[in-house]
Amino acid sequence: MLSHFTKKHSLMFSLPALLAILPFLGACLYILRFSFSAEEATISGFSLNSYTELANAYFMRSVWVTVKLAGISTFIVMMLAIPLAFVLVTIQSPVMRRALTVIVLLPMILNLLIQAYGWIILLGPSGVLNSFLRQAGIIQRPLFLLFNEKGVLLGLVQTALPLAVFPIVSAIRAISKEQLEAASSLGASHWRIFFDITLPLLKPGLLAAGSITFAYNASAFAIPLLLGGRRVQMLGVAIRDMISPLFNWSGAAAGGVVLIAITTGVLFLASWISSRQTSKMEAG
Amino acid sequence: MTQSDTHLHVDSISKDFGAVRALSDIELKVERGSFVCLLGPSGCGKTTLLRIIAGFETATNGNLMLDDVDITRLQPHKRGFGMVFQSLALFPHMSVAENIAYGLKLRGAGAKERKDRVEELLNVIELPAIADRQVSALSGGQRQRVAIARALAVQPKLFLLDEPLSALDAKLRDNMQVELRQLQRKFGVTTILVTHDQTEAMVLADRLVVMKDGVIRQEGSPTDVYRNPKDTFVADFLGSANLVKGTVSSGGKLRVLGKESVLKSKAGVGTLEDLAIRAEDIQLCAPDADQNTPVGKVDFVRDLGSDLEWIVAVEGEKLRIRTSAKQGEIAQLGQQIGLKIDPEKIVQF
Amino acid sequence: MRVGLLPSENGGTYRFVMLLLATLGVLVAALPVVVVVIMSFSASDMPSFPPEALSFRWYEEVIAMLTSSDASSAQSVPSSVLTSIVVASAVMVISVAACVPLAYAMARSGRSMRAGMELLFTLPLVFPLVILGIAFLLIVEGLNLDLGIWRLIIPHVALVLPFVLRNCLSAMSGVSVEIEEAAISLGASPLRAIVDVVIPLMKPGILAGLIFALIISFNEFTVTFFMYTIDVSTLPIWMYSRTVSSLNPSVLALSVFIVAADVLLIVLIDKIIAGKANLF
Repeated sequence: MLSHFTKKHSLMFSLPALLAILPFLGACLYILRFSFSAEEATISGFSLNSYTELANAYFMRSVWVTVKLAGISTFIVMMLAIPLAFVLVTIQSPVMRRALTVIVLLPMILNLLIQAYGWIILLGPSGVLNSFLRQAGIIQRPLFLLFNEKGVLLGLVQTALPLAVFPIVSAIRAISKEQLEAASSLGASHWRIFFDITLPLLKPGLLAAGSITFAYNASAFAIPLLLGGRRVQMLGVAIRDMISPLFNWSGAAAGGVVLIAITTGVLFLASWISSRQTSKMEAG
Repeated sequence: MTQSDTHLHVDSISKDFGAVRALSDIELKVERGSFVCLLGPSGCGKTTLLRIIAGFETATNGNLMLDDVDITRLQPHKRGFGMVFQSLALFPHMSVAENIAYGLKLRGAGAKERKDRVEELLNVIELPAIADRQVSALSGGQRQRVAIARALAVQPKLFLLDEPLSALDAKLRDNMQVELRQLQRKFGVTTILVTHDQTEAMVLADRLVVMKDGVIRQEGSPTDVYRNPKDTFVADFLGSANLVKGTVSSGGKLRVLGKESVLKSKAGVGTLEDLAIRAEDIQLCAPDADQNTPVGKVDFVRDLGSDLEWIVAVEGEKLRIRTSAKQGEIAQLGQQIGLKIDPEKIVQF
Repeated sequence: MRVGLLPSENGGTYRFVMLLLATLGVLVAALPVVVVVIMSFSASDMPSFPPEALSFRWYEEVIAMLTSSDASSAQSVPSSVLTSIVVASAVMVISVAACVPLAYAMARSGRSMRAGMELLFTLPLVFPLVILGIAFLLIVEGLNLDLGIWRLIIPHVALVLPFVLRNCLSAMSGVSVEIEEAAISLGASPLRAIVDVVIPLMKPGILAGLIFALIISFNEFTVTFFMYTIDVSTLPIWMYSRTVSSLNPSVLALSVFIVAADVLLIVLIDKIIAGKANLF
């Protein structure tokens, strides 16, 4: 520790960043306040109306669709992310590793629109998959994989994959090759090692990856908007609909708070489970 | 004896880290041009003291006087000391020359002056060709010397070193110790070095300061401290001493290892006194040589190449003994052996 | 090796399943982009795959759009591109200017301060983008603020802060306290030591942060979707408006340009921080 770097200095150095994040924090608080407003289009008074009004079939259905799709997509993402992480860690050639990193990273920072186009071309009625299956004589009429929940699911999986892969890659550092070899010397097969040693040791990383994926996908907006047509009402889309055309801003704010509650709830739960596990491992 | 010329006066310095007292009332006078070693086990406060002298920690109590000027509150970058850190802390983004010249650049030295001084120092550390090399391309010993050159380039008032040789392998360390000593003589700069290695301290120091638990246990010339340790800690820390108890017998004499010795004591009969005998001060002889020779059983013997190390059990004590390899014939494992100890070499506390 | 996360010999079904799933993952990640690239070379404007004929016509059209002097509407391509670039540049500068001193403070402060800041600056990452967009929109509309291009810059900065901070923090982890103290012991004031030693050593991390900020801001869609106006609009919004009804292949060609640029930038980041830091 630099003894001359006092708390005061610390604060001064943090100031620009705190200023930069202030609008964000202000926006959070604004939303919170708006959700308790008595009026729909402005902030005035205090009322829980906006929340109670959310208890309608339409909104509840959105919550269900959101949780369902986020859950399923998280499951699929984890099934793909773990092997991908293993491959990334095991590759020797730096060129291949870089190429794989780029491929995995791309969906995350690339324009969501471009991803959507790709899926539309792939899965549309006259798209790649359908043309291929039609030509191969497997189907007569096109499969409707787009503008419904299946298409949205694929989009969610693709855009969340990078978010899951990299925490798992970090967590793999907690496993030493020797531990796996020890298990093998004691008689464990590959699958046994995977389930008995690798997965448990990866648990904190898996919890982090899974909870981040769930939170990210539950908050999805662009994907259901572009790939779901009018049919997949995830919370993001439903909330936006409250603003336009409905101008129910306080309702949208209330819906937003509900969404945030779901996502932060999941993140805290994962973090809590994870820290219980680590303290158990350290105590034992 | 000439009038002592105190360069640095550490005046009753104490340092607390929260509830922990790292240094208690440290009083030390460092003579101009001398080489002082702060020696002690880890946690004894020696590095804290050095950092207070450098200015990177502030003392809780006490003063620091340099040539009678109070520098206790002076900021570290204004002190004009040169410091070599344990990790060397060379600047990886600068070349060797730029590293060495950095202090000069801060003092406004022109390009030519910096170049000349760098060249001069590179010659002194015997690495004339590496001026433009990157730090990462140097070997351990080379980086060591560059760190030293960088600190000396600014002609520092004090030369401070924090366990600078701990990362080097044994052979390199031995060579660097000698070089460091020669460099210090050449430049005549007042030097304070922190180490936990007793041999290193013995090689380098004009004055040895042995510390433990935040206090100075003993101070003096290396030979002095070695021969006349003030307490059992110092005796044991500097080389391997055997700590034995002597019993006071009638006539004020001490009974050691089961036999009457010529040592005297004023304490009452039956009192136990602490004694220290160095491993190399004990010689081996035949068990029946003399009736006053302590006798013991050989528990362990090991060949170290040039020396032999023995453990002999005598009267319930286990003594460590170092002899030359020639004495190997004298006894084997499990046999009885006699011990010859020069009473002058036994340290009484 | 015979035992490991992915054994190379005698892997049995385990190795097979792992590789199968990994390949599936790669396909899911890469296929849409690959398909877009292929379709951008299609000669017809019907989205049928595989394209019967290949041509560069859509690329020519994009270049024509980019260089056309028809910048009358602020929602034309050149104007959108310009806005995207201006916004991204401002975001890059502001986020780095904010994160470098913060990363320094966090690296040199106690654990609780550091943990608190890490938590605070990770919030934008887990906050639903759609809610953020709505929130900013509500503030600007509700308080009747006329912010011009800052409508976009301010939200974008909040979005990139977590990424830039992470890169600056990992850059700081390579700068030990002793190096700063060495500079100070040689006579540098603490501020001078930061300028002469800390910042040069942070360069790779700062550079990576800059590039992250650029990519994220340039490509940002969701929050921008709520915040754009007729006068202030970015390229992704333009692309969206062009394809609301049908898929115009020239948009695909434009997408490929963006993909190519993004890939180059990611490779650049990877090369800069190769081995010196982790990507996340």
